[in-house]
Amino acid sequence: MFYARCIMMGELGFAVICSSNMNRSMEAHAFLSKKGFNVRSFGTGDKVKLPGPAPDKPNCYEFGTSYDDIYNDLLRKDKTLYTQNGLLHMLDRNRRIKPDPERFQVCKDKFDIIVTCEERVYDQVLECLEARIPEENTPVHVINIDIQDNHEEATIGAFMICELAALLSGTEDLDNDIDELLHEFETKCQRNVLHCVQFY
Amino acid sequence: MTEEEQTTRDRVVELLNTSTFLQSEKEKIANLAKVQELIIHLEPLLLDSFFEEVAAFQTDRNSDVRKFVVGFIEEACKKDPGMLPRLVPNIQLLLADDAIAVVKRVVQSAAQLHRATLSWLALARTVSPEMEQVWHIITSIKNTIVTLIDHDNDGVRTQAIKFLEALVLLQTYTEADSISRDAEFNLDNVPLTVKVARPRKLEEEARMVLNKLVAFQGSIHISSVNLMTCMSSLTIIARARPQFLGKIINALEILHANLPPTLTKSQVNSVRKHLKIQMLNLLKHPASYDFHENITTVLNDLGVTASEVNKAMPSKDSIKKRVR
Repeated sequence: MFYARCIMMGELGFAVICSSNMNRSMEAHAFLSKKGFNVRSFGTGDKVKLPGPAPDKPNCYEFGTSYDDIYNDLLRKDKTLYTQNGLLHMLDRNRRIKPDPERFQVCKDKFDIIVTCEERVYDQVLECLEARIPEENTPVHVINIDIQDNHEEATIGAFMICELAALLSGTEDLDNDIDELLHEFETKCQRNVLHCVQFY
Repeated sequence: MTEEEQTTRDRVVELLNTSTFLQSEKEKIANLAKVQELIIHLEPLLLDSFFEEVAAFQTDRNSDVRKFVVGFIEEACKKDPGMLPRLVPNIQLLLADDAIAVVKRVVQSAAQLHRATLSWLALARTVSPEMEQVWHIITSIKNTIVTLIDHDNDGVRTQAIKFLEALVLLQTYTEADSISRDAEFNLDNVPLTVKVARPRKLEEEARMVLNKLVAFQGSIHISSVNLMTCMSSLTIIARARPQFLGKIINALEILHANLPPTLTKSQVNSVRKHLKIQMLNLLKHPASYDFHENITTVLNDLGVTASEVNKAMPSKDSIKKRVR
């Protein structure tokens, strides 16, 4: 029933955003687009950061470096390690979805709903949108759901974001109903969300 | 007529003819969007011949098509102010539409049309009766929207707030410290001699509207979305018109002390975070110097660290310059 409703979605434009546009946002991107949502994904960090051989030695890449290049780089560096910790698998999934990680702050496109995966990312998204002076006043709802940055939590998070997306898409009048729908979502999923409206 | 123009004309006729009989509203809108592109951007000379045909879709059964027409009217009038007398009456009709989505779109467009009309009057050598007529209709639209701040629908109220924000910015003068969009049309560009739209009266109206916004922010049953929209609007106004900084900072302080009782726990968190962003933005403004103590008190209450406050504080040089 839930999935059937997802497929019949309206035309809301979703953006899912995490820090590096690798794990949480991509998991949600994959899940939502499979369910027929109109979705894109982004990161808000300065760089794309992935775990390295030690906690203080992360692998850093510029936004715009393709998933394919990162995949090959890690493959070259330590195939066993990055196969075991799932990074290669994740990058392989990502490169089938889109060419490269995208940074939200440089994107000029508009969305109806932006879902962020942690409070710091939510703050960065708001900071970016607040710095632009709105021109045409088209509203965009920004919603944060905290998701830990690991594979299991990303999977659960993607499922929750999809549930939220279905809830928000199922209403005739989003702007009027959103407060109530978010409350419903919070009660059902036992998660606190942050929400605010910004304008393009 | 050039050959190219004739080809475009034929294409527009064909698109309009097919649109009339299309059952799917998505295809209809896609077709009309192509017409819009052709007659507004590619061959603006054709706008005059075809605008009525596009505007006629405002009676379409589907609200998305009617919403599209609103967008078309806005674009057409921005491209050619000569369209205002022909299309503003349509907008007035659409403001009374049954579909909420259409009403919201009209309110959104009305801010742009309001600005376009005032700019059209200000630039004209003499104000013709036709111009007066348009201004009269725009004023009536404006008065209707001001009352929409009490509409039953939350989304309509949100758009009404944004309209009022635009109204205040349009109908006031900029100042030395104004932070706003470059080359934005406002009262600076309206000569004192325009009789139908007297700058002094417009400014007076803007002040009244600002008071209305402040009062709305303080209403007890305001929804969290509208509360945050209102806070942002007031901050945008304060940054663009520093003369209102005191009034607006005061309103935000009062809000901080009396958050609406109807908010849920997580809405309170969202609102407090939003207030923090607004206060930091105001703190960054060089003209907010006199209110630094008020702002930092609220920020401390909201749990903002001293280093975050210092980071947002304007440089000593810019403060000194101002104090001098």
